[in-house]
Amino acid sequence: MSTEEKSAAPRSLAEALRGRDDASLAALLRGRPDLITPVPTDLTQLATRAGTRASVVRALERLDRFALQSAEALAVAPDPASYGDLLGLMAGDPGDTADPVVAAALPRALGLLRDQALVWGDEDRLRLVRTARELLAPSPQHPSPTGLGPTVREATAGMSPGRVQEILAAAGLPSTHDSVSAVAALGDLFGDREQMAALLRTVPEESRAVLSRLVWGPPYGQITHDPAPHLRRLLDLGLLLPTSPGTVVLPREVALHLRGGRAHRATEPVPPPVTAAADHRPEVVDATAAGAALTALATVEELLKDWNEGGPPVLRAGGLSVRDLKRTAVALDVSEPVAAFWTELAYAAGLLAPDGEPDERYAATPAYDEWRELPDAERWALLAEAWLLATRTPGLIGGRDAKDRTLSALGPDLDRSAAPEVRQRVLALLAGLPEGSAPDEESVLARLRWERPLRSPRRDGRDTGGAGGGTEDDLRTRLARWTLSEAELLGVTGRGALAAPARALIGAPAGADGARTAPLAPAEQVAAGAAAARLLAPLLPEPLDHVLLQADLTAVAPGPLERPLAEVLGVLADVESKGGATVYRFTPGSVRRALDAGRTAADLHAFLATHSRTPVPQPLTYLIDDVARRHGRLRVGAASAYVRCDDDALLSEILADKRAPGMGLRRLAPTVLAAEADPAALLEGLRAMGFAPAAETAAGDVLIARADAHRTPPRTPPEPVPDGPPVPDDALLAAAIRAVRAGDLASTAPRKPAPGAASAAEGTPPRTGPAETLATLQAAVLTGEALWIGYVNADGAASQRVIAPIRVEGGFVTAYDHTADEVRTYPVHRITGVAELADDAG
Amino acid sequence: MNGPLIVQSDKTLLLEVDHERADDCRRAIAPFAELERAPEHIHTYRVTPLGLWNARAAGHDAEQVVDALVQYSRYPVPHALLVDVAETMDRYGRLTLSKDPAHGLVLTTTDRPVLEEVLKSKRIAPLVGARIDPDTVAVHPSERGQIKQTLLKLGWPAEDLAGYVDGEAHPIELAEDGWALRPYQKQAVENFWHGGSGVVVLPCGAGKTLVGAGSMAQAKSTTLILVTNTVSARQWKHELVRRTSLTEDEIGEYSGTRKEIRPVTIATYQVLTTRRKGVYPHLELFDSRDWGLIVYDEVHLLPAPVFKFTADLQARRRLGLTATLVREDGRESDVFSLIGPKRFDAPWKEIEAQGYIAPADCVEVRVNLTDSERLAYATAETEEKYRFCATTATKRKVTEAIVRRFAGQQILVIGQYIDQLDELGEHLNAPVIKGETSNLQREKLFEAFRQGEISVLVVSKVANFSVDLPEATVAVQVSGTFGSRQEEAQRLGRVLRPKADGHQAHFYSVVARDTIDQDFAAHRQRFLAEQGYAYRIVDADDLLAAE
Repeated sequence: MSTEEKSAAPRSLAEALRGRDDASLAALLRGRPDLITPVPTDLTQLATRAGTRASVVRALERLDRFALQSAEALAVAPDPASYGDLLGLMAGDPGDTADPVVAAALPRALGLLRDQALVWGDEDRLRLVRTARELLAPSPQHPSPTGLGPTVREATAGMSPGRVQEILAAAGLPSTHDSVSAVAALGDLFGDREQMAALLRTVPEESRAVLSRLVWGPPYGQITHDPAPHLRRLLDLGLLLPTSPGTVVLPREVALHLRGGRAHRATEPVPPPVTAAADHRPEVVDATAAGAALTALATVEELLKDWNEGGPPVLRAGGLSVRDLKRTAVALDVSEPVAAFWTELAYAAGLLAPDGEPDERYAATPAYDEWRELPDAERWALLAEAWLLATRTPGLIGGRDAKDRTLSALGPDLDRSAAPEVRQRVLALLAGLPEGSAPDEESVLARLRWERPLRSPRRDGRDTGGAGGGTEDDLRTRLARWTLSEAELLGVTGRGALAAPARALIGAPAGADGARTAPLAPAEQVAAGAAAARLLAPLLPEPLDHVLLQADLTAVAPGPLERPLAEVLGVLADVESKGGATVYRFTPGSVRRALDAGRTAADLHAFLATHSRTPVPQPLTYLIDDVARRHGRLRVGAASAYVRCDDDALLSEILADKRAPGMGLRRLAPTVLAAEADPAALLEGLRAMGFAPAAETAAGDVLIARADAHRTPPRTPPEPVPDGPPVPDDALLAAAIRAVRAGDLASTAPRKPAPGAASAAEGTPPRTGPAETLATLQAAVLTGEALWIGYVNADGAASQRVIAPIRVEGGFVTAYDHTADEVRTYPVHRITGVAELADDAG
Repeated sequence: MNGPLIVQSDKTLLLEVDHERADDCRRAIAPFAELERAPEHIHTYRVTPLGLWNARAAGHDAEQVVDALVQYSRYPVPHALLVDVAETMDRYGRLTLSKDPAHGLVLTTTDRPVLEEVLKSKRIAPLVGARIDPDTVAVHPSERGQIKQTLLKLGWPAEDLAGYVDGEAHPIELAEDGWALRPYQKQAVENFWHGGSGVVVLPCGAGKTLVGAGSMAQAKSTTLILVTNTVSARQWKHELVRRTSLTEDEIGEYSGTRKEIRPVTIATYQVLTTRRKGVYPHLELFDSRDWGLIVYDEVHLLPAPVFKFTADLQARRRLGLTATLVREDGRESDVFSLIGPKRFDAPWKEIEAQGYIAPADCVEVRVNLTDSERLAYATAETEEKYRFCATTATKRKVTEAIVRRFAGQQILVIGQYIDQLDELGEHLNAPVIKGETSNLQREKLFEAFRQGEISVLVVSKVANFSVDLPEATVAVQVSGTFGSRQEEAQRLGRVLRPKADGHQAHFYSVVARDTIDQDFAAHRQRFLAEQGYAYRIVDADDLLAAE
């Protein structure tokens, strides 16, 4: 740690970084994780990387509105600028008009810019990283959000010296010897509030009106070939400067004077608060959310049950066809976007996937069967976690991509890397409200826009510039809206307010201020999920073990049913209405279905009698009996297996056997025995009796109409596609910083003079860093000098050689090896160091 | 959270009737939810936009609705549903129809974009006139009904504040000598009068005619009564003379045979919808007097052309009467928009509990087809299948057995197929009333039945409606109009009029097992089962064996 350098003003970003302690470096790397992938060798490299355009754009995009405005102000300020300059630009000229709120908030914004390594330098010499300055400073092609134009110096760059002197004279300044000093004098005049005010008093009212039209930007105006006198006057004074024929610009200094020194028309120093639209009792919120959670579980189960016997086919381009989505929506009795949400949720949770067969279809995964066995609350927590972390964005479904193709559910191109972050952030903002408060949606959106202005520009176009144009612009806003509606569907919120289980899920205890921005680490998330499930469990209603049967052939389950009961009823009756309760209707078709599934009428009567609190209505008894009677008449499904043999005698022998009754054999025809035992038991029994039966699967013989559930091979849920590298944890950060520091120390430690021939003779191989090695090699190619290198061969043996490099390319150096007296090629990474030879060494 | 109500996500409300707070809850939700089914344990209500708008029209606001749902709900009410209720109710009243002194009938809005939206509709454009100001547009007075109907379909129901014409005054009083309107009838009249126009739903036999008479006594103006057939017209006349201050001379009959126009005129749907050379010659009836009240009997049977005429009558008070607002053609919403919202509805079982209609024992007798009939049935053409199974010979035996069992009581045998009825009439030695029977003959037979001179009467579907047979205690239905739910309800209604000795009514429906007859029967019974009438099923063999 080079603490001694701290006192001296840093001369570069790298030096500024070197002066920062580990904690502050860690904060930087946490905020800009792209800087340590891969881990840089030293702070110089870190600083270089922090100055690359891609990285700076990324960092700027993550600034809140006020920090961004501060950066924009720095971009139009002199370089370097003092804190006073910046304050003047942000809060206005010192005096009554200066905004105290801005002054109070500015240190925080500046601190953030410093943390993010966008600004460095002392208070009196603040420097915006050059790339950031280029990105944010106004230019004709790329207007700044400040609406400011170029400086006098920039605007007069191509002007003839004579013209400059004329302006000087018109403004009442003494002439100078050269244009540079003339422009400087003009700039000083424009920057001086008093003189400038005096100058402006001399121009006519009309002229001042022209200036005021341009003052808040855009600063460019059109003039005719022969401008009117009031324009002429402005041009003469240099208050408007020509940029190209027919176009004039208001110089930055003039605009700032007219604006009272402000770079922005309006600054937003404090984040807009998230306001509550309604307050509910927390119990109501939790109960409503629990109700929705239960519905979510039921819906996902229903969806996969519907797809149990082979779901819809996978489109060739991937995803679900529009028709299948419609069908699913009808089956679930929800709108198509909601159906798409449930499908995507099940997919994100790894509960459904394409089965991978040649005729590819969607089906439940084995994980679904495990999921089904879990308690309700844990099942919900799994769904909610999957939703929270997924980058897949169901809200996009039905829209069109850049190539005008419809985005289909479960299809490609639905990943939006910002989605999890926005979800977490929205929920964190909700967590910041008091318990039971439902937020005003617009205030949430406004807050999000403030936090990431470049990612979600306002529609009025005040925020232009930055990366991401076109449809991506309001993606974050749309994501936030989707988050709010999906949260309600999933039971994360109830009546719009965050419910207690969801608070636990995002790791925000009740009453937290919602300041937490970083997502939970995987291990923490698992714990949070478990905590959420614990909170949810008591909120869910107890499953019931009975239903109410009615004479109109309906059954009402006045609450969630125990799973086995629900499953049998689901077969025996059609679901007519869902929600807190379930209404079932018995029809001949549904009863037949139950009989088909291997149940008998007696079974069903017993089942209904057991689970009904009231006597079974007579019409229902009749319905079952009627259907069962006709069902039996054709004798389909009554037998489980058969024995077929051309030899009647052999069948008689089997029937006569003492061990036969156990299998429930009976003769259907001379050559056919039917058995009550299932085929496997029958085979086993016959074998035990000393026969050699073979299993038969003749086409068309359906024994029991119970189809096997269709499953995919084991599948993993889709990986979220994060935006950039993941945020490193503390251990990794510490290690990275140690490594960078070490490398930095090595590269900046004072060096001994280059080792000469004498030291070579001592056998100490030179050691240099890879960058330096490469640079020296390249230099040697140009100069044709011989170098002394340390080299490790493929076997790991170190040696020293003297080479004259011929060319360096592709990681190899081709050189005349003085030691071996021939041209050889060495991999650069095997060269441990290089040193120039002493002059006498050739 | 242990309320009697369960709010389902499909906007049905399940009410547990045995719950201690069930009655409070029923009262709270009745203004906006339609009772859909009322079997023994759980009643089903449905929240529809129409219901919510009707509630708004009756002066309830969204907050009350949400409160009622939240207060009585056992489980948390889905947030989306509450939002939807509020939004739906908010749509009502953005548009109002009113009378403007200068421009006549106008459509005004409190929300300009809504007006712009509806005016863009192709269906609204021909109904409106000049734009008077940004918020107001003139409406052709003759299109008042049409525009209300169309706006309802567009989802922006208009509040009709244009009022009613009083019509030509005519003194009518109820003659309450020795009888009085029952409480629910009074309530029905009051609700109707307060609402201006609308439909009253009462079970068969619960005295709908008296609700009509009560409303006429309120209106005290000339009245046009539309009924289904001539017999029914005569009964209305008879009843009005008996129950009100009106005399025979004041009541005219406008039917196929007579064309009288009096202060109170009773017309049949049939004569109104008679078409000659593409025009309806009897339409001028509507304009022949300045009617103050129009009564539509059996509004569920309102023929389509009458809807059209009714659309032109929006300035007059309209009362619809029915036992079952179930239309097999699904035009319930037209009834609501043209005649008016449902103003009163009482579950059958509730009226029964109050003792105003007789308790009924509904029995479905299942008969087996003989082997030869089964073969004939299996090979019959699709359109002939029902006839084959509905007219099986076994049904005759069963009917005879039932008639024997209830010998001495007044028994109606009702059927669809004339051959079958003739045959039954022969075997039972009973007169048969069918389409070709003259009105004179019909009335004579009915009177004889009423007086107890004959105890068994075989009738075809001509007697489905408004035939007042006070002492029929047993009805046997051998066949019907396929799966018509309202026909079943009407037929049960034949025996529901309270009996002098207070004993139970019997309704037998004879059904051929394992045929479409049984499927139709199941469909027909649905309405009654939903009203809480539990059918008992009896095997024909058991019934015959019990003889």
